Amino acid sequence: MIDQRIFENLQTKIDEETTVRDELHEIVQTLARRGRSTQAILSRAHSTPADQLKPVLDDVTKEILAQKQEVARLKAVADQHPFYKYNGLWTRELQNLVASIELCAWLGGLQEHKGPSSTSFMTIEDVGKFLDIPFNLKEQDAFHLTIEEYLLAVIAMVEELARLAVNSVTLGDYTRPMQIGNFVKEVFAGFQLLNLKNDILRKRSDGIKYSVKKVEDVVYDLSLRNLVPKGGSSA
Amino acid sequence: MGTKRSWEGQPLELNPQDTIMAEVETESAPSILSIFESFRDELDEHHDRRERIIKKSRDITALSKKIIFALQRVRTTNQPLPPKIAQENQTRFDQIHALFEGVVPEQLGINGWRYQRQISAGIQEFIEAVSFDHYLRTQTLITHAECSARVPPGILVSEEDYLMGLYDLTGEMMRFAVLSLSSGNATATNATENTASDSEKSTVASSQGGIVVDLRAIRAGFEALTVPQRHYMFRDMGKKQDVMQNSVEKVERAAYGIVVRGSERPSGWTPDLSGAVEVPSY
Repeated sequence: MIDQRIFENLQTKIDEETTVRDELHEIVQTLARRGRSTQAILSRAHSTPADQLKPVLDDVTKEILAQKQEVARLKAVADQHPFYKYNGLWTRELQNLVASIELCAWLGGLQEHKGPSSTSFMTIEDVGKFLDIPFNLKEQDAFHLTIEEYLLAVIAMVEELARLAVNSVTLGDYTRPMQIGNFVKEVFAGFQLLNLKNDILRKRSDGIKYSVKKVEDVVYDLSLRNLVPKGGSSA
Repeated sequence: MGTKRSWEGQPLELNPQDTIMAEVETESAPSILSIFESFRDELDEHHDRRERIIKKSRDITALSKKIIFALQRVRTTNQPLPPKIAQENQTRFDQIHALFEGVVPEQLGINGWRYQRQISAGIQEFIEAVSFDHYLRTQTLITHAECSARVPPGILVSEEDYLMGLYDLTGEMMRFAVLSLSSGNATATNATENTASDSEKSTVASSQGGIVVDLRAIRAGFEALTVPQRHYMFRDMGKKQDVMQNSVEKVERAAYGIVVRGSERPSGWTPDLSGAVEVPSY
């Protein structure tokens, strides 16, 4: 004899979970839409000389702040549920946002939000403080930015910088590829410290060496032709 | 950490025109590495815990499979299990309990859902074993609450695991029914046979309570569930649904075979169960 109530109870649970997912999904959609517009503006950096970058960065900052509000909305809802149960719904968009923040900061935006220790990139603490969300929570079950998400965002930023190195040369800027080269190599060295398992982080971080190579090729071409600016950074 | 050098090999000097980059090099170079060192520790801890849980999950799966094999040697339903099998399985259940106890400290608080996927396979197999055990003893379906009560408190039994475990249960019930039919001398067979022949005559014979009836009821229950596709909530559900429907049909066909050819059946004849009896198990 099969008690049909068992299935009725299951259906109730499924419906409850669907409601939660729908609610989160709606917020994540908004976050994604704004994220695309952030990235669209940010990609203007590829065709804007460094000294005219300010208005672009201001626009990007505006978009990022709008996204920050969506993150706050997301946090309010997500905090009511087990974090890792639903984390998959927003992790992608949060990574994209952090990547935009990192890139914007590297280009000289968001200066007031950087920590005192670094000038070129934002640490996970800086990002957490800026977005007003906790990071790397290990005990408390609440919304936060995970280390994996942060690292994946850094990888995305590195890929974007590799592209920027090429485009900077096209714009006649021979200094920036050097700066990018230094930074990218440091990040690469950092990733080599990690013992990565066969997961998404491993797959994505394997790509960093191609970014490094891309930038090094640019630096090489410039050095070969004596185009490295005097007093420029080491390559 | 070595000295930063220019590409000509000269030790790097700070250039006043380049203060921003100079700062980057003096301050962020060590800090990037130290940041990543702390990340490494965190990630190592995560991977180690993850692997410990996977290992335990595999052990639980293996023990659960053994329990199921032992239960397939039972020939009756709704009766206490033969003492030998019951005793054998009790040791295994105890071992599984100990394994779950070992997972509890790994899954405290936020980590419950973080490593849910790692322990999930073990839990599903365990639910398959527990629900099969429960069904053979009582001929009823174990509830989600009863399943949760069979594992230590800190272990999370999600609805998904419960549901997937029940899908696998239908495969075991199918195997059990077919085995009983072919051995042809057990009460389970009779129950099945009666139900089948009754439904021939009167179309409704649910009170008979045979496996066929139960399987049909479970199938109907599963099919009535509405799970929205858009969230990929239960990833394996489609596949499991197919397997479950096949299992039910196999038992229905076997019951049909008994009814149609039962009267002509010489003693020792076993019904022709065309098609393999293997159940794909996950």
